[in-house]
Amino acid sequence: MSGSLDVGGVRLKSPVMAASGTFGYGTEVPLCDRRHLGGIVSKGIFLQPRLGTPPPRIAETPSGMLNAIGLQGPGVEALIRDYAPQWASWDFPVLVNVNGETVGEYAELAARLDGVLGVSGLEINISCPNVREGGMFFGNDPRSAAAVTSAVRQRTSLPVWVKLTPAVTDITEIARACEEAGADALSAVNTFVGMSFDLQSRQPRLAFHTGGLSGPAIRPLAVYLAHRTARAVSIPVVGIGGIAAAEDAMEFLLAGCRAVQVGTATFVDPNAIGKIVEGLRRYEELLRPPD
Amino acid sequence: MTYDVPAPLVSRRKVAREMWVLGFEAAPIARTVMAGQFVNLLMRPGPLLRRPFSVYRADGDVVEIVLSAVGEGTERLLDLTRGELVSALGPLGRGFQLDAGPGRVTLISGGLGVAPMPLAARDARALGLEVAWVHGARTQAELCSEADADRYYWATDDGSTGVHGSALDAVPPSEVGHVLACGPNRMLAAVAARWPDAQVAVETYMGCGTGVCLGCAVPRTSGVYDRACTEGPVYRAGSIRWADLPAHLHYRVTA
Repeated sequence: MSGSLDVGGVRLKSPVMAASGTFGYGTEVPLCDRRHLGGIVSKGIFLQPRLGTPPPRIAETPSGMLNAIGLQGPGVEALIRDYAPQWASWDFPVLVNVNGETVGEYAELAARLDGVLGVSGLEINISCPNVREGGMFFGNDPRSAAAVTSAVRQRTSLPVWVKLTPAVTDITEIARACEEAGADALSAVNTFVGMSFDLQSRQPRLAFHTGGLSGPAIRPLAVYLAHRTARAVSIPVVGIGGIAAAEDAMEFLLAGCRAVQVGTATFVDPNAIGKIVEGLRRYEELLRPPD
Repeated sequence: MTYDVPAPLVSRRKVAREMWVLGFEAAPIARTVMAGQFVNLLMRPGPLLRRPFSVYRADGDVVEIVLSAVGEGTERLLDLTRGELVSALGPLGRGFQLDAGPGRVTLISGGLGVAPMPLAARDARALGLEVAWVHGARTQAELCSEADADRYYWATDDGSTGVHGSALDAVPPSEVGHVLACGPNRMLAAVAARWPDAQVAVETYMGCGTGVCLGCAVPRTSGVYDRACTEGPVYRAGSIRWADLPAHLHYRVTA
């Protein structure tokens, strides 16, 4: 895929981005061909530093993995000091994944990041399954989702994306609420809540007990939800869920997504995104709008 | 520098009951790996995620790992035929830090904790250090048959060879130098209680191996979690909150 594209006010270098929590702050992944990177979404950040959850934090499952990291991170001041200056020199955009336990915290974080050089946009995380307060709670209810979106919208001039949870009865209701509240794009979807038990210890395999399921195991579920979301709103939708190859990315694009994010595949192959973008060249015909 | 190379299986030998050494041709990794660093291996077909292994030996272009069949990944590796490819990502992590001799290092390993020791012996010798190696296993049949040190000491849980007890019980007081240890986390916790300045290579579940997933969290006494794949897997023993680190990983068939 050649040429950049505008998605919700963010100029991506290609339609394939790195998903939040799978690429750190962009400074660490070795061997990734960054010429192909559409953009990255930073690890989720709060106003304050967070320790994260105790180990074990991950468990492999059939064609997938459960994680409960708990949004470990250094807090927004360290992000602005240590990472944003590096981002400012890169030729692809970095969105910051923003988190809070209250609407006020999301809004304050948005205000703090407004105008920071190197930050190209915000992705509001109302869908993290691994925090006790906030997170997925806001993504479960259209009024809460709209309240967070609108509070962030009012405190920043940056493009605002909202990352949706699949753990809802009707994702289109949440999607429309976010669009009406001023979102510029929607990321669909975050991980699915899951659980797995260890037969020897007879305990959950994760210390947090539950975790977010990612990887190819969730791909058809995610394609379906991304498709429903894309049909429900007129703002762009960025598809996420188990993409490991160009063909997988194509499914989301055919489902109506403008771009995609790749996550777990980067854990398996640090250059997964580079290979997916290369592979998408084979399908440029398919993406051309019909005459 | 980290490399991701297609690595053919070139050798396989048994070193103890249910314990094998596999050799993979992976020249850039073999030539640069330091003791205590690891490789992350991907099998296709195979499980979704890579599997991390301490490098056991590095000889010319070949990297060796030691393993037992404890789950889907290790079973797949032991089914590989000569010439079959895996993807080898490495060298990863921060290994043992050694100061130049004269002096002595004491290697203490339990079970599959032998993994980083031959390289540790190699690097220690290259720095002019004397090497004593104390190795423990459940029974004589499970003791690794290969060792590389100036002096060796054995321990078995059932007393079938060497000292009846753990590797720690078999360390002669006269041999205590700078301690480097690897084995089940509960053994390493005992090492930490006796020698807080020892360097220990810990085992955790691991997602990416490259520092981005934060899955391999190690609780430090400073209060933070850091990453076994990046800040570790080798730590100062006294810097880990052992009570908060899983004592052993449950993919193991036996403890």
